[in-house]
Amino acid sequence: MAALVVTLAAIMLSGVVAPLLLIGVAVLLPAAVAGVVRELSRIALLLSLPLAISVVLVNVFFFPAGETVLLRIGPIVATAEGLRFAVEILLRLAAISGAIVLFYLSTRPGDLVIDLEARGVSPRLAFVANASVQTVPTMVERAADIAAAQRARGLDSEGSPWARVRGLLPLVAPVVLGSIAEVEERTMALEARAFTRPGRRTLLWRPADSRGQAVARWLLVAALPLLIGLRAAGWLAWLG
Amino acid sequence: MLELDGITYRYAGAPRPSMHEVSLTLADGEVVGIVGASEAGKSTLCLVAAGLAPRTVGGSLSGRVLLDGHDAAPLAMHQLAERVGICFANPATQLSRVTATVYEEVAFGPMNLGLPRGEIIDRTGAALEALGVADLAEREPARLSGGQQQLVAVAGLLAMHPQHLVLDEPTAQLDPAGTQLVAEALARLAADGASILIAEQKTDLLAQICTRIVALEAGRIALEGAAADVLADERLTGLGVALPGSVRIRRLAEAASLGSPQRDKLATALATLDAPA
Amino acid sequence: MTDVALESVSYVYPGSGVRALDDVSLRVAGGEGLALVGQNGSGKTTLVRHLNGLLRPSAGRVMLDGADAHRNTVAQLARSIGLVFQDPDQQIFAGSVRAEVEFGPRNLGLRGEQLRVAIEEALEAVGLAANARTNPYDLGGSRRKLLALASVLAMRTPVLVLDEPTTGQDVRGVEVVRRVIDSARAAGRTVIAISHDMEFVASAFERVVVLRAGSVILDGPPSVIFAESSWPELRSTFLEPPLAARLGAQLGFQATPTDDALIRALAQ
Repeated sequence: MAALVVTLAAIMLSGVVAPLLLIGVAVLLPAAVAGVVRELSRIALLLSLPLAISVVLVNVFFFPAGETVLLRIGPIVATAEGLRFAVEILLRLAAISGAIVLFYLSTRPGDLVIDLEARGVSPRLAFVANASVQTVPTMVERAADIAAAQRARGLDSEGSPWARVRGLLPLVAPVVLGSIAEVEERTMALEARAFTRPGRRTLLWRPADSRGQAVARWLLVAALPLLIGLRAAGWLAWLG
Repeated sequence: MLELDGITYRYAGAPRPSMHEVSLTLADGEVVGIVGASEAGKSTLCLVAAGLAPRTVGGSLSGRVLLDGHDAAPLAMHQLAERVGICFANPATQLSRVTATVYEEVAFGPMNLGLPRGEIIDRTGAALEALGVADLAEREPARLSGGQQQLVAVAGLLAMHPQHLVLDEPTAQLDPAGTQLVAEALARLAADGASILIAEQKTDLLAQICTRIVALEAGRIALEGAAADVLADERLTGLGVALPGSVRIRRLAEAASLGSPQRDKLATALATLDAPA
Repeated sequence: MTDVALESVSYVYPGSGVRALDDVSLRVAGGEGLALVGQNGSGKTTLVRHLNGLLRPSAGRVMLDGADAHRNTVAQLARSIGLVFQDPDQQIFAGSVRAEVEFGPRNLGLRGEQLRVAIEEALEAVGLAANARTNPYDLGGSRRKLLALASVLAMRTPVLVLDEPTTGQDVRGVEVVRRVIDSARAAGRTVIAISHDMEFVASAFERVVVLRAGSVILDGPPSVIFAESSWPELRSTFLEPPLAARLGAQLGFQATPTDDALIRALAQ
């Protein structure tokens, strides 16, 4: 919930100071509380790096309204305005990716799903959401094992592009085939635990939801239209 | 009581049936072992007994599966799950993957059944105790060894309070330590009066826990009787079944025309090793 | 005949920092038959993956015929070391048994008549000659395992490495694996197998190496490895000697790792 609001807020705010404030308050502070500042920075950085690099390059060098020249490389010119614009975008990007990663780091997948289920989402749907997320690391590991098995049979993973394309089928097919075979077994195992029984399940527990959290949620939701209104009315220009 | 009555079953799209006119009874408290070559029908038999064939797997079934005398056909899969639990060979695919701890994993089944909370807690505790995995309760299921995962899988089934437990080669993918863990747990369950149908290649394991053994060949019952009798039967090797170690060595001693004093020495040594430590 | 050796090899998994191999030195002469045993997690799979370059040592060297293998790619090493993985479904991708077996030798450059013969012999060796056109997933799991074996056999590598070849096999399947190992040895190939089946290990190999927590704790012929004096070491890593060895000890015999050895000892 928080992630969503921060993202939207980041998109709307302009300038340099605002996004910085946002990052400070909405991202770094909770992260410090949860003790995940380092990991958050690492992941967020990794995720946004490709985009960040292209943003910087494009804007620093090709910003249309740029005038104050900083650097000249042949016909290409780096401008101060471009730089400033790039920084603004980068900060918003940082706010967004920070928020998303914070969400990912601070929520146990199981908790989210149980919470959804408790609020009435079908257990099977919730299960799919949860299981899909858990499946990713397993599939990645499996893909690595498959690649190892095929390389052990002489699959050339270092050759020409054409060789690599030919090499795709032996890499991809076992993943798909294996997954299909596995799905049947998993389904049977689940059915053996009455997963397909219609009706509600008993939930042993619900994630702790204090009054404070509920209040915070409502505040966040209210903050959004407020921000929109203020911006439209031009009252946030001083933050630029 | 679980009864297979004249079961003939063919997988969808298969040219021939995998099971022919198989009739088998599993009385309450019995432990019946199923042996046979690969593709002789052991897995199919397990799936039919647990109701997954034809419900989940498809295919066509003729004959009846009876639970305490009543035809199981009208029951839905989740209703059958409370009566017959089934454990498969692959420890990892049986994890639900949506639980963070072994405790929740074992409670998964009862939660699905919509039982009252108190009941779930009782059942989960009892199942964890029965399989000897109570000390693993807080651990992450995915990080356990194969043998431990199998124990958790069986605990999860037990928590459903089924009348019968069907196991399809539960130790196939386990190392000796894991096999030992599972074998001991099953022996304890059997001693406590559980109804177990277990398909295995490891006849030494079956010799330990089974009262009766059924040998399959090409989807039909080829041999059936008391465990010790079937495992010593001449025809077993011809059916692609490995002999238990003691039977194998005794056979070799006979084939080598060893005199009776040597055979007696052998018999005594075997008895000493079999005796509980 | 190709020698392989690990010289003081250590391996630490980059992600977890787990030390899977700890200063392991092992020399396998061309044509030898060696069984690698140990608990899950003892380092057996990690070790064999060093042989064909899938893993590179964190310390130490892997030697192939006296030359350091570190500059060879996995594809190059596949010419010398054929590794059969434990799970056949990790490699099966073709629509027919024949196409699956063809993949390995074709990658190594075999063509025409040579290729055809290699495939046929491999299929024959595992008993799948009649199923050349069958879809691998129409075979049961244990036969798919034999298919994986055939697909590496066809590569005709001087060294054959098998990861748990008898797991999940019935009596006939185990016989097939035994015959394959014997023929390979007879043809001068080195065979290294990871196995949990102590009876199989004692009867099919002349050398057994026991791993525990990344180190070699025992290395010798079955008669020594399964002799009573080695039992404490074996049991420390949850391995049980074969029944014949235990009976032999009970009867006061020296070393009877296999059924045959026991019967011979009794007959005297």
